[in-house]
Amino acid sequence: MMATVDTPHLLLSALALGAAYALVAVGFVLTLNAAGAVNFAHGDSVMLGGVAAVLLGVAAQAAGWRVPGVVLLPLVILLGAALGLAIGAAGFLPLKDRPPSAVFVATIAIASIFEQSATAFFGPAPRSAPPVWREGTAQPLAMIAVAALVLGAVYVVLERTQLGRRFRALAQDREMARALGIPATPLIAAAFAAGGGLAGLAGALLGHQFFVVANQGPGYMLKAYIAVVIGGWGSVPGALAGALLIALFETFVAASLSAVWAQALLFIAVLLVLLLRPQGLFGEPAGRRA
Amino acid sequence: MRAALHIEALTVGHGGAPVLRDVSLTVEPGHVMALLGANGAGKTSLLRAVMGLVRGDGRIHLGDREIGGLSPERRARAGLGYVPEGRRVFAGLTVRENIEVAAAGGAASRGRRIEEMFALFPALAEKSAERAWRLSGGQQQMLAIARALAMRPPVLLLDEPSLGLAPIIAREVFGRLRAIADDGVAVLLAEQNAARALMIADEALVLARGGVAHRGPAAGLTPEAVADLLVAG
Repeated sequence: MMATVDTPHLLLSALALGAAYALVAVGFVLTLNAAGAVNFAHGDSVMLGGVAAVLLGVAAQAAGWRVPGVVLLPLVILLGAALGLAIGAAGFLPLKDRPPSAVFVATIAIASIFEQSATAFFGPAPRSAPPVWREGTAQPLAMIAVAALVLGAVYVVLERTQLGRRFRALAQDREMARALGIPATPLIAAAFAAGGGLAGLAGALLGHQFFVVANQGPGYMLKAYIAVVIGGWGSVPGALAGALLIALFETFVAASLSAVWAQALLFIAVLLVLLLRPQGLFGEPAGRRA
Repeated sequence: MRAALHIEALTVGHGGAPVLRDVSLTVEPGHVMALLGANGAGKTSLLRAVMGLVRGDGRIHLGDREIGGLSPERRARAGLGYVPEGRRVFAGLTVRENIEVAAAGGAASRGRRIEEMFALFPALAEKSAERAWRLSGGQQQMLAIARALAMRPPVLLLDEPSLGLAPIIAREVFGRLRAIADDGVAVLLAEQNAARALMIADEALVLARGGVAHRGPAAGLTPEAVADLLVAG
């Protein structure tokens, strides 16, 4: 019942969840814009980021290092970036001149390989990643701080550097960008690496409170997809806003009704958005994509 | 004088059917060549093949360098500037960013180039921080030209720059093109409006029925004579 809900605490949890979803959604949309195709392995990159955080935490503990999770995050980001590059190299670059459905199928196959491999080597049971800083209220605050810092850095790169300008030009008109001497393939590879790094970081942040399970990749993928649909296909600020809305919706509906209702109502809300405002709540013309 | 752009026996096809056959042309530095022809004559295909955006068989030399086997981005970096039909400015980037994104070198060098482009097109300087989608058609055309010139290309390819522009704006754009050529840039100008193109061109090449119907000096060639050539094929 609403009356029993601790609103400030719920809001903090929702914002922390939204911050992690925002990392997933922004990583997804960066790759989408550069490659012009959906990377269906993105959700499993989130899951593998969580797996990496769990294993690095276990290794650190075994070595006798008592370090907070935040120390492990740069390594998780690097591993995620390497994974993103591998997805781009295997699932996109050899197929970039084929119809987009070829990339869809290839990345679905890669996602399946990741999920089955994680089940085989990591096991099906949920495991918890180390907290970012420490347990309790510090965890959601740390999640928000880390995500804000990283998303701020992404914003600065996109808006204030020549790399970011070139990336935005490529996202808007790839052929024209190439005709101006902008190297498309290295930028697409960089987008896959950035997307993988953000996904890995999100997995590590989510992995403490929400656990790491080998089959959770498709759920994260769906959240990223929904965030981009809500926010406007291809829009980076829209993806961020869409992710925050999903987290607020999920958290407050789950607290008021149940987690099952939260999922069901989320999909009903998405259907309504698609029917009533297909360009997304914050949709912009494709030519104005960030 | 070494030609800035030399094309030899270029054939361009779509789905196995040739659109253009055996087209050869030479553009000298500082000259404007008008590429004339009816809608569908192959003007756009020729420019896109030179830029590497569609496949073309034949030899393409930029100065001393054969560029036929290069990707579009390497052709651009080798010295081809391209202004496409419909302008295709990056709508979500500002005017300044549209120019800077194509400029080479460090921040200081890019800044100098932007200022040079603003001196050439003062109307753009006033709109420096505006998103490109907010510009008028004429301003977008100037921006597309400034963006193509950002890398200081010795050769500029333009596809229908007067399309959709009011006559007074088209006249202004063509005046700038002549000034750009007078600065030493070789300009290959595909244009349906023969009268306007011939006013600034040094040479003209008329395409009809998939081949070259006429090649020669622009002086003395009238729009009526071009129309006769198109009918005769």
